[in-house]
Amino acid sequence: MSTIDQIVFGDNQFFGINHMSQDKAQQLAERFHDLDAIFSVYDAAIDAGLRAVMLNSNSRAAEICDRFRSNPSRYAGLSWYPSIPYPHKYANWVAEKGIVGTLNDVLFQKGRLSGIGKLAQGGLALMSMDIVRMMKMLVDAEMQMFDGLNIKVVFLQNIVTDLLLGLDTADIFREYCEHVRRKYGAMPGLITQNMPYLRNKLMEWGISGVVICSSINKIGYLMSPGVEAYKQALAENDPEAFPMMAMSTLASGAVPPKEAYDFVNSLNIQSVVFGASSRPHIEETIRLIK
Amino acid sequence: MSGGKIRVGIVGAGRMGITHYAIINSHPDVEVTAVAEPSSVMRLFLDKSVKAATYKDAETMFDKQALDAILLCTPPALNHGILTAAHRKGLHAFVEKPFLLSVREGEELAALFDGSRLVNQVGYVNRFNDVFVAVKRYLQAGLLGEILRFRSEMYSSTVVREEAGEGWRSSHANGGGATYEMASHAIDLINFLFGPPDKVAGSRLTHVFSKNVEDVVSSTFAYKSGCTGALYVNWSDASFRKPTNKLEVFGRRGKILADQHGLKLFLDHDDPERGFKRGWNTLYITDVFNSVPFYVRGVEFTAQLYHFIEKIKAAEDRRTMCSFADATATLAVIDEIFRDAAVIEKEMV
Repeated sequence: MSTIDQIVFGDNQFFGINHMSQDKAQQLAERFHDLDAIFSVYDAAIDAGLRAVMLNSNSRAAEICDRFRSNPSRYAGLSWYPSIPYPHKYANWVAEKGIVGTLNDVLFQKGRLSGIGKLAQGGLALMSMDIVRMMKMLVDAEMQMFDGLNIKVVFLQNIVTDLLLGLDTADIFREYCEHVRRKYGAMPGLITQNMPYLRNKLMEWGISGVVICSSINKIGYLMSPGVEAYKQALAENDPEAFPMMAMSTLASGAVPPKEAYDFVNSLNIQSVVFGASSRPHIEETIRLIK
Repeated sequence: MSGGKIRVGIVGAGRMGITHYAIINSHPDVEVTAVAEPSSVMRLFLDKSVKAATYKDAETMFDKQALDAILLCTPPALNHGILTAAHRKGLHAFVEKPFLLSVREGEELAALFDGSRLVNQVGYVNRFNDVFVAVKRYLQAGLLGEILRFRSEMYSSTVVREEAGEGWRSSHANGGGATYEMASHAIDLINFLFGPPDKVAGSRLTHVFSKNVEDVVSSTFAYKSGCTGALYVNWSDASFRKPTNKLEVFGRRGKILADQHGLKLFLDHDDPERGFKRGWNTLYITDVFNSVPFYVRGVEFTAQLYHFIEKIKAAEDRRTMCSFADATATLAVIDEIFRDAAVIEKEMV
């Protein structure tokens, strides 16, 4: 089994995502409207020694991937940790068309998602599809933009992971993991806000070799059911079965970096994903993660 | 209840039905045993992936399955019939907003469910948001002094393309449009914090992309106390990545600016009891949040459903944080907005 990178550079800062402040999110979205501004941050991260990138398959990811691919001499050594899908795209789509209407559009209508419509045409109807095949098609549609990059882990976004987790759909998780291994030669990854619950379920279902990415911060923000359950699950965890990746380590800025990483460093965690938008912050964070 | 577990049936497996299913299924005292959903495609997916039995409609589900409670997530025009049947079966009911489309039916069902001591709740989820709950606490404690003005706003990019005018969402008669579907949240937040207005005036409904229903709604709420509030809701604003509530409250002794993620408080005095200083104070969601046992879409979505289950288990006080009666009060305000807007529209022709 390949090991995951100890530090992964995330993408929330580029897309106006800040859980704590919408004003801050807006400022960031404005600043990173320009692709050059995004790449000056990526370049700073790479100069600081980072070699792993997590990127959500949102509306801007395709142009970012294109630029990475177009300069192989500089970017060829990077490992990729895509997360799929971009949830808001589907949320609005579902609000307008309903779940079945959305699936019909995504899987069968031409042109709405590049390529996949054509691929699925030829007399197929939603009724004749099995749910596993449909899941694979949705994954492949989202993964197209990462084509040709060195994929290490394919993460499922927390809204999808946690929805399927609540619905207790063991088979879909099993098939997702198999599909990612077989088709992409990558490790399956699950992002969750319910790490202890997910880990228990995966063990119950006999699924392992899955990277689990979850919020880990000392104040317990976005950590259900709470900090103590996380600490216990991490202490018991076999990192071979479930390599653990920490996100939201600063709790959207509520915990100062030194305190945040002292906490993370004290736990049985294999990897940290963080986002930052300036060279000093990137360098400081790398110094603090042990 | 069977084996101590509360048996829950879901009616309507759309976006909210599926979300609620995932959340409530995590509750150790709950078993989701049945789903009623008219779409055969959705039923097929559910049959292949979840444990609950599926039925094509609520009546068949009520006939064939022993249940204790339902989560009703169907278009609101269907809800009266389903809730009447659920009441006959003695089922507790959680209903997605806006609950119904008629105040009279709302009053009738509130009386029926309360009269039978059946737990009744409507999904106005802001009542469970930690920031808005904190705002209510501060207002009740008189932190801002007398409340003179407020604004309740909501924005999203839900409808940002021309709509074909099809489906249940495209008419008021079915509960479609920005007022029923989105402004109802902002109006309920007003009712929750300040009580229902004594008069509604200056209401306007604007079409942006939708053919038959409004995409923007605004109104002015007047109170006999002297307080005045403004409502502004726009679900066709592409500048908002996700739905956003904004609230501003102005009182004689300070003001509050709040959204789901935090609040800013300006005071003309120190408040040592809560640790606030004269001038600006900032509270982030990270300062006021409460963890929930299982998280899918937001803390408040879990909190509201676990509250529903808690009230079912309660022997004494079964009144929920957002009862049928509360939701009916919100419907009455919506009726007033439509009536007022129609009068103004007529004058403009």
